[in-house]
Amino acid sequence: MDTGSTSTSSDLLQKSVMRGERDGSDVITTSGLTKTFGAIEALTDLDLNVPHHSIVGFLGPNGAGKTTAIKLLLGLSRPTSGKASVFGLDAVEDSTAIRARVGFLAQEPRFYTHLTARETLEFTTRFFFRGPKEALRDRIDETLELVGLADKADRPTKGFSGGERQRLGIAQAQVNHPDLLVLDEPAAALDPLGRRDVLAVMERLREHTTIFYSTHILDDVQRVSDHVVILDHGRKVADASTSQLLDGGCTYELALRGDVAAAGASLRSRSWVSDVATTTNADGHHLTVTVTDQETADAHLLRSILQDDDVIVTAFGRKHYNLEDVFLQLVEGRES
Amino acid sequence: MTARASTANVDLIPVRGSGWRIGLGNLLRKEFGQWWTTRLWWIQTLIWLVLLNGVTTVIMLDSSGMTPAELVNEAVQTFFLVAATAVGIGIVLTLQGSIVGEKELGTAAWVMSKPASRASFVVSKLIAHFTGFAITTIIIPSAVFLVSASFILPEPVPFGPFALGTAVMALNVLFYVTLTLALGCIFKGRGPIAGIGIGFILVGQFFKGMLPEPIVVATPWLLGEVAASFAMQQLPVFDRVVPLVATTVEILVFGAVGIWRFNREEF
Repeated sequence: MDTGSTSTSSDLLQKSVMRGERDGSDVITTSGLTKTFGAIEALTDLDLNVPHHSIVGFLGPNGAGKTTAIKLLLGLSRPTSGKASVFGLDAVEDSTAIRARVGFLAQEPRFYTHLTARETLEFTTRFFFRGPKEALRDRIDETLELVGLADKADRPTKGFSGGERQRLGIAQAQVNHPDLLVLDEPAAALDPLGRRDVLAVMERLREHTTIFYSTHILDDVQRVSDHVVILDHGRKVADASTSQLLDGGCTYELALRGDVAAAGASLRSRSWVSDVATTTNADGHHLTVTVTDQETADAHLLRSILQDDDVIVTAFGRKHYNLEDVFLQLVEGRES
Repeated sequence: MTARASTANVDLIPVRGSGWRIGLGNLLRKEFGQWWTTRLWWIQTLIWLVLLNGVTTVIMLDSSGMTPAELVNEAVQTFFLVAATAVGIGIVLTLQGSIVGEKELGTAAWVMSKPASRASFVVSKLIAHFTGFAITTIIIPSAVFLVSASFILPEPVPFGPFALGTAVMALNVLFYVTLTLALGCIFKGRGPIAGIGIGFILVGQFFKGMLPEPIVVATPWLLGEVAASFAMQQLPVFDRVVPLVATTVEILVFGAVGIWRFNREEF
């Protein structure tokens, strides 16, 4: 093994940003990526592009193929057909070079139980760096503190709880300050505080790193992800920015008091309104208005209703879905 | 967790490299650590001192009806023949989970998600376990044998030839370490590894007299006799060479098969 120049955190950050600026290409690209186990198609024709410095949530029900896809990207498994590349390198042929720039957290992280948390991180770090013991110790101390394990640093991991193992997993995944962080269910074994901390760490690392993570926790995805990919039965069913996915598009929601029927009839008469649905619940009356021209609707919809003195508008806005709605629609829609 | 800014790490140097040796140094450090910083080394040493040196000391002390030369010969033969079989069984039992256990537990997948080659993973285990077993099952008991023999036996055991016999036993250790690790790369459970490994030793122990000679000499089953013959300068040269060459070739083949299979492993 030969060696290069010395490295600092800011160097790594700068190098990472430079790479993104220089080639402008996606960090992860897959094309027709397919994996079968006997007759079972775990992953079918996955086309994926993950841009630099994005946080991409990889969603899907159990058995959707998320972990399979992650293993293919890291060279832990071989594709049946199709191609995957990370940093422009082939995931099969250049797997070791890819892994030198990646941090990975497995779904159920396992470590050598006779090693302490500090020894585990030292073992991990030595795959990426060499140098004086003090420098290694500094890096490890910094990482242990980041994940809240500083007080348990010298305990063998054998006695670690699921949450502590998960924190150590996150620590070992980012101890090398990777260009790409791949996390398979990073918050699965954590309590709400731990989850919040993981999301905070992910947001902080966004400046340095591209993050590609799978999860079942849709709230987390909605909070931190720029982009969402949804898999179901091994096939991609959605691939869009989070805002696009949650955007209701040409649908508006209004909460009203007063003569709702007249307001609805008035809206239906407009040429740019295609549908008006009225619902009533304990909160009052609601209109869901679908339009054909979003710009006209933005300019005139509210004004049209306010012209009617018999109606009071208590809420108005474009419809925004939450990720759970979108996820269930996509997945259940396919099943039905 | 607290979000603290990175301030340290000024002297860390990225490890670069490619090819099959990438990650080898780090993996070797871990494997050697597992031998020499845990109880493993002294437990193994204790077992083999009791088993090998205990048995041979009893023989050395029971000199009834034997000439001094016969007594030396008997002690040396017993030491190497018992070592050849018992150490093989001990290695298979100890190492049956070395690779399979890591595959089951997920630590192999974890290590393989780092920049380390699959060959490094297997070779680091091969080197560390060979070294550990060679020292604890052969070198330390051989040294103790020589010391105890110098006090108990009426004639000295010649050091040079005995050292050659010890080297032959080290080859025996390497064979069983390689075989067990290769089986660990091939199978997903411990049963076939223990069954094949111990079955192979027991067939040699109990049935080698019934098998055709070309088969027997092409196995490590005769390494105990070969080691003793080196120590006592008895067998003709050809009879010693064939099992040594055959075992060496088998070690290379099993090693290559193990690495090839592990390279194809899906985690």
